[in-house]
Amino acid sequence: MILIIGGAYQGKLDYAKAAFSLTPEDIFTCAGAEIDFSKRCVNALEEFCYACVQQELDPVDYFRSHEGAWQDSILICNDLSSGVVPMDAADRQWRHSTGRLCQYLARQANQVSRIFCGLEQRLK
Amino acid sequence: MIVFVSGGAKNGKSSFAQDLAVKLADGGKRYYAATMIPVDEEDHARIRKHVADRDGLGFETIECGGDILSCLNHDRNGSFLLDSVTALLQNVMFPVEKNYEMDLQAAETCAQDVVTFAKSVANAVIVSDYIYSDAQRYDESTECYRRCLARIDRLLAQVSDTVIEVSAGQLIFHKGGLTE
Repeated sequence: MILIIGGAYQGKLDYAKAAFSLTPEDIFTCAGAEIDFSKRCVNALEEFCYACVQQELDPVDYFRSHEGAWQDSILICNDLSSGVVPMDAADRQWRHSTGRLCQYLARQANQVSRIFCGLEQRLK
Repeated sequence: MIVFVSGGAKNGKSSFAQDLAVKLADGGKRYYAATMIPVDEEDHARIRKHVADRDGLGFETIECGGDILSCLNHDRNGSFLLDSVTALLQNVMFPVEKNYEMDLQAAETCAQDVVTFAKSVANAVIVSDYIYSDAQRYDESTECYRRCLARIDRLLAQVSDTVIEVSAGQLIFHKGGLTE
């Protein structure tokens, strides 16, 4: 599994497309608390986490219970870690669970890349 | 050469960029492209502080307002410091003379102009701000501003010889390097 993180609009998906020759059909874009792991690439994991928080689900639990499904996936998540603590409790929970999910995934990843202004920085 | 400098606020980007622009000038002309359009006393005070910070480094200030290409009328052989893209984009995207109403076309023109500027001068040190890693759901115009700034950052990173992230005054090289 390959994990790609970085701030908003940094070019994470563009990097993944170029590095792994992805076509639009290969990409699943998260919009709810379910993920289609049949696609090679899962984009916007932060939106998956957001939906989980709304439904009081734990994103890490979800990944654990689908462990066999994403071992060869390319996973992309926004880094939400560097702002002021959000005022809203749900936003705090969102940031918390997104960070925990990234740590969990990074431990298991073969490769972790951070994208900064379109450039890859290899973290693992 | 073109050097792009970014990173979080208050990490030493400006001091580093100033020193680097002086070094690259190698005794030649150095210019500070002033992008701020002061509207109140707070702005004037900030400008006075910036001018004092640069005191003794030999910068000639070029007031370019929102038009960075106006720098090219001066001297293309110099070493230019643009600090920051963030402020420049804010000026052109939310112009004071239009009551801060968002101008997307101006943002796109700004993106092209900054790249043209960087490629036209002997040395350009360009500072931006990394404002992309927080857990906020912003309003539409703020989100739009972040997207436009990120687009300029990425265009600049692409054409730059060297891309540096400054953290606590330390340098993380994302592209290229600097000779001592």
